[in-house]
Amino acid sequence: MTQEARPATVQGDFTRDNTFDYLGVRARMERRGDRFTMTLTFAEGRQQVFTIDRTVGSRRIEQYLSQQDGQYVRLPLAYDLVNRRWMSLNGSFFYPDGDNYFQHQTQWDANCVFCHNVKAQPHLDARTRRFATEVTELGIACGACHGAAAKHAEQASSPFTREWWRLTDARDKQIVHPEKLTSERSLMVCGHCHGQRVPQPMDRIQEILTKGDPYNAGDDLAHFYTPVGRETKIGEFSFAARFWNNGAPRLTAYEYQGVLRSPCFIKGEHGNRINCLSCHSMHAGDVRGQIKPENRTDKPCLACHQQYQPPAKLAAHTRHGADSIGSRCYNCHMPRVVYGIMSFHPTHEISVPDPQLTASQSVPNACNQCHLDKSVNWAIAASQRFWPRRFAAAAPSQDEIFNLPEGPRALFMGDALTRAMAADAMGGGGPMKVDPHWVAPYLLEAFSDNYPIVRFFAAQGLANYNRSLLKPDYLAAPGARQMALAQWWASYAASRPQTVSLADKLRARRINVDIEVGE
Amino acid sequence: MSLLFQGWVSVAVWMAVGLLLEGLIGYKAPAYLDDPQRRELFRLAHAHGTLLGAVLIVAALSASKFAPPRAAVLALRVGSVMMPVGFLLAGVWHPEGDPGLGIWLVPPGALLMIFGAAAMAFSARNKT
Repeated sequence: MTQEARPATVQGDFTRDNTFDYLGVRARMERRGDRFTMTLTFAEGRQQVFTIDRTVGSRRIEQYLSQQDGQYVRLPLAYDLVNRRWMSLNGSFFYPDGDNYFQHQTQWDANCVFCHNVKAQPHLDARTRRFATEVTELGIACGACHGAAAKHAEQASSPFTREWWRLTDARDKQIVHPEKLTSERSLMVCGHCHGQRVPQPMDRIQEILTKGDPYNAGDDLAHFYTPVGRETKIGEFSFAARFWNNGAPRLTAYEYQGVLRSPCFIKGEHGNRINCLSCHSMHAGDVRGQIKPENRTDKPCLACHQQYQPPAKLAAHTRHGADSIGSRCYNCHMPRVVYGIMSFHPTHEISVPDPQLTASQSVPNACNQCHLDKSVNWAIAASQRFWPRRFAAAAPSQDEIFNLPEGPRALFMGDALTRAMAADAMGGGGPMKVDPHWVAPYLLEAFSDNYPIVRFFAAQGLANYNRSLLKPDYLAAPGARQMALAQWWASYAASRPQTVSLADKLRARRINVDIEVGE
Repeated sequence: MSLLFQGWVSVAVWMAVGLLLEGLIGYKAPAYLDDPQRRELFRLAHAHGTLLGAVLIVAALSASKFAPPRAAVLALRVGSVMMPVGFLLAGVWHPEGDPGLGIWLVPPGALLMIFGAAAMAFSARNKT
């Protein structure tokens, strides 16, 4: 949500814990009357003061926009609303440690503006390359899902009209209602922002940057945009790293692509397929995820797959106890393998888990998301035993690395996103709570990762398991991090040589991929 | 049923409703606390029911000073029921952002109360 920065809207701590040291720069965030500022003091003593004019985000992290010479710029620091601390945006992206303080400072008018507001018109001046942005509604508001609604609002100002509409279930309300669209069009309303996209055709970008986004809720999204896929490129820039090797999205804001790839969608009847509203509800339930409590259960899946309603049938299907986490539909068919804003989320590619994909394509599998202490080959053998018809031809990997427990293997051998995901799962962020004595040494070793975001999840996990020690700061200077680690290792000294040895062996086969998160 | 009796019954009933609302707050009933529209409508029902009951008592006491027109008394009797009951029903079930259908009892109830009060005023003036 984009908001004007006012005392009633700003949630970051501008008065007490309001300094943040990072890369040799001291930032001080202050409130002066009703105004908010961010002052950066560089090592050489130079100061730079930013006035905070707008905020973006209100649930996970709060980002700040400053108007610089008439243009809105996203500042390099944000406030982590979950952990109540200041952070550098370098710590939320998949980039290794570096020395560029302003690495993720970007221009709001050209990018964020389209999905964090309603009907943005950037008014880019082709000659001066300057924006004069206007938005219909600041923040994600009614128009994002219901389209242009001035006529509707005018008519609805009469209580008699409103009552007539209700009593007659009138169709002609001059507004888009996503529940009354076909499932495909309804999906597009959300997919417009929850499905990173490129203009169709590409040169439409000029129209978008001048007149604004041509799409309105209810339109055919494909007429204006093509969803980004693993193969998409813009010039030399490739989107491949934002997807797993089998093409499944691994970042949030790609949920549209995930659903389009799901058998639940593909096999559905045209016009009446699964869509966002099958599970999500915009005007009810928890604002985090916008899901009604009952839809956090098996209920939405059982709406179509009624045959698994009886506990005995469910247990026979899952080969897990009917009441266990292994029998919750989403734990197996929507594992938490998608990163977005400091947490991992269920994939929206609803599919059958296949542990072979981990060995062949480095795609994480749902089995080892819980069975972190078991190997991929163990999962392949189990899938063959439990579901022989589907996995009759499955074969274990000949690579002995896949005989190692998958949690530590992914934590040290995977790319940065895989490592962060493993740290999150091992740290208790997922459905499985692992033995802290087994997992803590691995998380400690993971805290020496050169990607801050991997350290973030390792630190979260350590703090989950041992509250008697100070949670290490994933953005602290290297020396401070080592000091914090020394205290922790003292508690797990016996496990250290074995852990470090395994980690070094796995790191030797690591592939590093830089990913800039699209959110 | 005499006007005085109806007045006191109304006061008693709607005061009891007030006690019930306090209980809903005390026991933190989500169905009441989490629905601002329902809270407002129930409070309006309680307040209007009690106060309009008091109006009926005053009207009944006035009858000893002058003879009120039958139409005025009937309007006050019916209006003092329609208004609080309308608010109450409108809050029991309502669509998002608007009161429920029961709210349509309120405007005619209010008109009846206004008519009854005006008729009482004219009657009082003619008597004096």
